[in-house]
Amino acid sequence: MKIVGVTACTIGIAHTYLAQQKLEDAAKAAGDDIKIETQGTIGIENALTAEDIEQADVVILAVDVKIADEERFKGKKVVKVSTETAIKSPNKLIAKLHEIAGK
Amino acid sequence: MIVDSASLSEAIDTRTVVTGLKADTKEEVFEDLAQRLHDAGYIDSVDEFLKALHEREAQGATGIGEHVAIPHGRSDTVKRNGVAIAILDHEIEWESLDDTGAKVVVLFAVGADDEGSKRHLQLLSEFARKLAKADVVHDLLQASSQDQVVAALTK
Repeated sequence: MKIVGVTACTIGIAHTYLAQQKLEDAAKAAGDDIKIETQGTIGIENALTAEDIEQADVVILAVDVKIADEERFKGKKVVKVSTETAIKSPNKLIAKLHEIAGK
Repeated sequence: MIVDSASLSEAIDTRTVVTGLKADTKEEVFEDLAQRLHDAGYIDSVDEFLKALHEREAQGATGIGEHVAIPHGRSDTVKRNGVAIAILDHEIEWESLDDTGAKVVVLFAVGADDEGSKRHLQLLSEFARKLAKADVVHDLLQASSQDQVVAALTK
Protein backbone atom coordinates (compact mmCIF):
# COMPACT_ATOMS: atom_id res chain seq x y z
CA MET A 1 0.00 0.00 0.00
CA LYS A 2 1.00 3.64 -0.21
CA ILE A 3 1.87 5.60 2.90
CA VAL A 4 2.60 9.30 3.17
CA GLY A 5 3.47 11.25 6.25
CA VAL A 6 5.22 14.06 8.02
CA THR A 7 7.84 14.03 10.77
CA ALA A 8 8.63 17.03 12.97
CA CYS A 9 10.23 17.38 16.40
CA THR A 10 10.74 20.24 18.82
CA ILE A 11 14.22 21.39 17.84
CA GLY A 12 14.03 20.03 14.34
CA ILE A 13 17.53 18.70 13.85
CA ALA A 14 17.57 15.08 14.96
CA HIS A 15 14.39 13.19 15.83
CA THR A 16 12.61 14.47 12.71
CA TYR A 17 15.14 12.72 10.48
CA LEU A 18 15.59 9.62 12.61
CA ALA A 19 11.85 9.08 12.56
CA GLN A 20 11.76 9.59 8.79
CA GLN A 21 14.47 7.01 8.20
CA LYS A 22 12.98 4.47 10.61
CA LEU A 23 9.54 4.77 9.01
CA GLU A 24 10.94 4.49 5.49
CA ASP A 25 12.97 1.39 6.35
CA ALA A 26 10.09 -0.30 8.18
CA ALA A 27 7.61 0.43 5.38
CA LYS A 28 9.95 -0.83 2.69
CA ALA A 29 10.54 -4.00 4.71
CA ALA A 30 6.77 -4.49 4.75
CA GLY A 31 6.61 -4.00 0.98
CA ASP A 32 4.94 -0.59 1.08
CA ASP A 33 5.56 2.59 -0.88
CA ILE A 34 6.30 5.43 1.49
CA LYS A 35 7.08 9.12 1.26
CA ILE A 36 7.81 11.14 4.37
CA GLU A 37 8.01 14.92 4.40
CA THR A 38 10.29 16.42 7.05
CA GLN A 39 9.52 19.74 8.72
CA GLY A 40 12.70 20.67 10.55
CA THR A 41 14.96 23.61 11.24
CA ILE A 42 16.10 23.56 7.62
CA GLY A 43 12.52 23.89 6.47
CA ILE A 44 10.35 21.46 4.57
CA GLU A 45 12.11 18.75 2.62
CA ASN A 46 10.78 15.91 0.51
CA ALA A 47 7.49 17.83 0.35
CA LEU A 48 4.34 15.83 -0.31
CA THR A 49 2.46 16.81 -3.43
CA ALA A 50 -1.31 16.90 -3.74
CA GLU A 51 -0.98 13.80 -5.91
CA ASP A 52 1.06 11.95 -3.25
CA ILE A 53 -1.64 12.62 -0.69
CA GLU A 54 -4.46 11.76 -3.10
CA GLN A 55 -2.93 8.35 -3.83
CA ALA A 56 -2.08 7.47 -0.23
CA ASP A 57 -3.99 4.73 1.59
CA VAL A 58 -3.03 6.15 4.96
CA VAL A 59 -1.23 9.14 6.47
CA ILE A 60 1.24 8.91 9.35
CA LEU A 61 2.09 12.05 11.30
CA ALA A 62 5.02 11.47 13.67
CA VAL A 63 5.10 14.91 15.18
CA ASP A 64 5.86 16.58 18.51
CA VAL A 65 4.88 20.07 17.39
CA LYS A 66 2.17 21.72 15.35
CA ILE A 67 2.96 21.20 11.68
CA ALA A 68 2.40 23.32 8.61
CA ASP A 69 -0.60 22.53 6.41
CA GLU A 70 -2.12 19.69 8.40
CA GLU A 71 -5.45 20.46 6.71
CA ARG A 72 -4.05 18.89 3.54
CA PHE A 73 -4.89 15.52 5.05
CA LYS A 74 -8.55 16.24 5.69
CA GLY A 75 -10.67 13.30 4.62
CA LYS A 76 -7.75 10.84 4.73
CA LYS A 77 -7.13 8.16 7.31
CA VAL A 78 -4.61 9.85 9.59
CA VAL A 79 -2.59 8.31 12.41
CA LYS A 80 -0.82 10.74 14.70
CA VAL A 81 1.98 9.68 17.06
CA SER A 82 5.10 11.21 18.60
CA THR A 83 8.48 10.99 16.88
CA GLU A 84 9.54 8.78 19.80
CA THR A 85 6.94 6.17 18.90
CA ALA A 86 8.11 6.13 15.29
CA ILE A 87 11.75 5.75 16.33
CA LYS A 88 11.11 3.16 19.00
CA SER A 89 8.57 0.90 17.31
CA PRO A 90 8.52 1.57 13.57
CA ASN A 91 7.52 -1.97 12.60
CA LYS A 92 4.62 -2.06 15.01
CA LEU A 93 3.50 1.32 13.74
CA ILE A 94 3.54 0.22 10.11
CA ALA A 95 1.52 -2.87 11.09
CA LYS A 96 -0.99 -0.56 12.76
CA LEU A 97 -1.23 1.53 9.58
CA HIS A 98 -2.08 -1.61 7.63
CA GLU A 99 -4.81 -2.39 10.12
CA ILE A 100 -6.26 1.10 9.86
CA ALA A 101 -6.08 1.21 6.08
CA GLY A 102 -7.70 -2.25 5.96
CA LYS A 103 -4.95 -3.54 3.70
CA MET B 1 18.09 15.52 -0.25
CA ILE B 2 21.03 13.29 -1.10
CA VAL B 3 24.31 13.95 0.68
CA ASP B 4 27.27 11.98 -0.56
CA SER B 5 29.72 10.30 1.78
CA ALA B 6 32.49 12.72 0.90
CA SER B 7 30.58 15.67 2.30
CA LEU B 8 29.60 13.75 5.42
CA SER B 9 33.22 12.97 6.15
CA GLU B 10 34.04 16.65 5.67
CA ALA B 11 31.49 17.44 8.35
CA ILE B 12 33.22 15.21 10.88
CA ASP B 13 35.97 17.15 12.62
CA THR B 14 38.41 14.74 14.24
CA ARG B 15 39.17 17.37 16.90
CA THR B 16 35.67 16.71 18.22
CA VAL B 17 35.69 12.92 17.98
CA VAL B 18 36.86 10.78 20.89
CA THR B 19 36.88 7.01 21.36
CA GLY B 20 37.30 5.03 24.56
CA LEU B 21 36.16 8.03 26.60
CA LYS B 22 36.18 7.26 30.31
CA ALA B 23 33.06 8.81 31.78
CA ASP B 24 30.57 7.68 34.38
CA THR B 25 27.83 10.24 33.93
CA LYS B 26 26.04 12.17 31.22
CA GLU B 27 27.40 15.36 32.75
CA GLU B 28 31.00 14.22 32.30
CA VAL B 29 30.32 13.44 28.66
CA PHE B 30 28.70 16.85 28.12
CA GLU B 31 31.63 18.65 29.73
CA ASP B 32 34.20 16.74 27.72
CA LEU B 33 32.48 17.26 24.38
CA ALA B 34 31.59 20.90 25.09
CA GLN B 35 35.23 21.58 25.90
CA ARG B 36 36.32 19.96 22.62
CA LEU B 37 33.77 22.03 20.68
CA HIS B 38 35.09 25.12 22.44
CA ASP B 39 38.74 24.33 21.74
CA ALA B 40 37.97 23.66 18.08
CA GLY B 41 36.23 27.04 17.78
CA TYR B 42 32.60 25.93 17.43
CA ILE B 43 31.31 27.53 20.63
CA ASP B 44 32.24 30.61 22.62
CA SER B 45 31.07 29.62 26.06
CA VAL B 46 31.16 26.10 27.48
CA ASP B 47 28.76 27.07 30.28
CA GLU B 48 26.21 28.63 27.92
CA PHE B 49 26.32 25.59 25.70
CA LEU B 50 25.90 23.21 28.65
CA LYS B 51 22.83 25.20 29.62
CA ALA B 52 21.39 24.73 26.13
CA LEU B 53 22.06 20.98 26.32
CA HIS B 54 20.25 20.75 29.63
CA GLU B 55 17.30 22.73 28.28
CA ARG B 56 16.89 20.12 25.57
CA GLU B 57 17.36 17.22 28.01
CA ALA B 58 14.53 18.63 30.12
CA GLN B 59 12.17 18.24 27.15
CA GLY B 60 12.56 14.48 26.90
CA ALA B 61 14.88 11.55 26.35
CA THR B 62 17.74 12.03 23.91
CA GLY B 63 18.69 8.35 24.10
CA ILE B 64 17.29 6.99 20.84
CA GLY B 65 17.70 3.33 21.73
CA GLU B 66 20.32 0.74 20.87
CA HIS B 67 22.84 2.42 23.22
CA VAL B 68 22.96 5.66 21.21
CA ALA B 69 22.21 9.17 22.46
CA ILE B 70 21.89 12.32 20.40
CA PRO B 71 21.89 15.27 22.79
CA HIS B 72 21.76 18.64 21.09
CA GLY B 73 22.01 22.23 22.11
CA ARG B 74 20.83 25.28 20.25
CA SER B 75 22.29 28.53 21.44
CA ASP B 76 23.74 31.77 20.17
CA THR B 77 27.01 30.79 21.81
CA VAL B 78 27.39 28.35 18.90
CA LYS B 79 29.49 30.13 16.28
CA ARG B 80 29.64 27.30 13.78
CA ASN B 81 27.25 24.37 13.60
CA GLY B 82 29.07 21.18 14.45
CA VAL B 83 28.96 17.63 15.67
CA ALA B 84 30.98 16.05 18.47
CA ILE B 85 31.10 12.28 18.85
CA ALA B 86 32.12 10.19 21.85
CA ILE B 87 32.38 6.43 21.97
CA LEU B 88 32.48 5.67 25.70
CA ASP B 89 34.60 2.93 27.20
CA HIS B 90 31.50 1.63 28.96
CA GLU B 91 27.78 2.21 28.77
CA ILE B 92 26.42 4.83 31.16
CA GLU B 93 22.93 5.67 32.36
CA TRP B 94 20.99 7.83 29.93
CA GLU B 95 17.24 8.36 29.54
CA SER B 96 16.30 6.52 26.37
CA LEU B 97 13.43 5.19 24.32
CA ASP B 98 14.31 1.55 24.95
CA ASP B 99 15.73 1.59 28.49
CA THR B 100 19.29 1.03 27.32
CA GLY B 101 21.87 3.58 28.39
CA ALA B 102 24.40 5.28 26.13
CA LYS B 103 27.73 4.10 24.80
CA VAL B 104 27.68 6.17 21.62
CA VAL B 105 27.00 9.89 22.02
CA VAL B 106 26.54 12.05 18.95
CA LEU B 107 26.13 15.64 20.06
CA PHE B 108 24.97 18.44 17.78
CA ALA B 109 25.79 22.08 18.37
CA VAL B 110 23.49 24.38 16.46
CA GLY B 111 23.45 28.16 16.29
CA ALA B 112 20.32 30.06 17.22
CA ASP B 113 20.29 31.72 13.82
CA ASP B 114 18.25 29.54 11.48
CA GLU B 115 19.78 31.05 8.39
CA GLY B 116 23.31 30.42 9.66
CA SER B 117 24.36 27.47 7.60
CA LYS B 118 21.64 25.56 5.93
CA ARG B 119 24.00 23.21 4.20
CA HIS B 120 25.59 22.21 7.45
CA LEU B 121 22.23 21.64 9.10
CA GLN B 122 21.39 19.36 6.20
CA LEU B 123 24.53 17.39 6.97
CA LEU B 124 23.47 17.09 10.61
CA SER B 125 20.11 15.76 9.50
CA GLU B 126 21.96 13.22 7.40
CA PHE B 127 23.85 12.08 10.52
CA ALA B 128 20.54 11.56 12.27
CA ARG B 129 19.31 9.43 9.38
CA LYS B 130 22.50 7.37 9.51
CA LEU B 131 21.90 6.67 13.18
CA ALA B 132 18.56 5.11 12.29
CA LYS B 133 20.48 2.31 10.54
CA ALA B 134 21.27 -0.78 12.58
CA ASP B 135 24.55 -1.54 10.76
CA VAL B 136 25.87 1.99 11.33
CA VAL B 137 25.06 1.78 15.04
CA HIS B 138 26.69 -1.65 15.24
CA ASP B 139 29.94 -0.31 13.75
CA LEU B 140 29.92 2.77 15.99
CA LEU B 141 29.50 0.63 19.11
CA GLN B 142 32.62 -1.29 18.08
CA ALA B 143 34.68 1.73 17.01
CA SER B 144 37.95 2.16 18.85
CA SER B 145 39.57 4.86 16.70
CA GLN B 146 38.54 8.11 15.05
CA ASP B 147 39.02 6.48 11.66
CA GLN B 148 36.58 3.75 12.56
CA VAL B 149 34.02 6.35 13.65
CA VAL B 150 34.38 8.19 10.35
CA ALA B 151 34.19 4.90 8.42
CA ALA B 152 31.01 3.84 10.23
CA LEU B 153 29.27 7.11 9.44
CA THR B 154 30.36 7.40 5.85
CA LYS B 155 30.15 3.88 4.49
